[in-house]
Amino acid sequence: MAWERRGDGVYYYKTERQGGRVRKRYIGNGELAHIIAHADKTRRRVWAERKAKERAELDEARSLASAGGELYEAVEVLAVAELVAAGYHRHKGGEWRMRRRA
Amino acid sequence: MLELPEGIKKRIHELQELSDKDQDDDQGARQELRRRLAQEGPEVVARCSDSARSYRRLLAKRSSGGSPLVQEAISERARRMALELAGENPTPLVLLLSERVASLWVLVELQEALLAAWYFKAEGASPGFVLQMARLQESCNRRYLGAIKALAQVQKLQGPYRVQVNIGGNQVNVSC
Repeated sequence: MAWERRGDGVYYYKTERQGGRVRKRYIGNGELAHIIAHADKTRRRVWAERKAKERAELDEARSLASAGGELYEAVEVLAVAELVAAGYHRHKGGEWRMRRRA
Repeated sequence: MLELPEGIKKRIHELQELSDKDQDDDQGARQELRRRLAQEGPEVVARCSDSARSYRRLLAKRSSGGSPLVQEAISERARRMALELAGENPTPLVLLLSERVASLWVLVELQEALLAAWYFKAEGASPGFVLQMARLQESCNRRYLGAIKALAQVQKLQGPYRVQVNIGGNQVNVSC
């Protein structure tokens, strides 16, 4: 969406995607074209603000989740440590079994 | 036991206040904090350096929406949950396990609250954003359930009555 110079005048055009193709649509240079351009600008600004907010929120959620991942890894290690300390072993990499006493 | 004596709780609270002062750029608070920590006993140092609890405090702060009451209530609920999960006379490793399970629970609650808040926002959220948040929530939930499973397995195998029997050459563990 932009104002483009054609000859002596400046005209507002909208770029739209239709069926996978990008098409440029002529809007004009009158009062209505200015209102439409202003509305488009506001819409783009609101969209960009929302995207930035969502990105920030996602970044925060990701960093919290990544710390959660580390906690979970610690849980796995602790559980194995507790069982090994209690005398268990993984039978053929599966079920936990108590070591036979000699 | 997980429950700390009142004296230790009070000392931890005082250290927390000093730490808050340090975060407010109070000159000398850091030095005082170091000096006090060097004099403290092992229980206090261990409790203050517990990363699972610190993480939980951070999550509670984020979930509370700025309300100190909600923040403290979430921390307290997680603390009680960790106590309950650890059971009676837990080993040090089971204590650490239950602390982490409780922290993961707070994380799952927070993710759900964040997602719900975005669903109900007036301007709405883009489908891509909701999808990514839902994926994060799903992954946290999976880890939380995995952690519960690990703790349950440890407690089952460490149960008071464990019997091993051989049936047809197969060794079977039975815990009651």
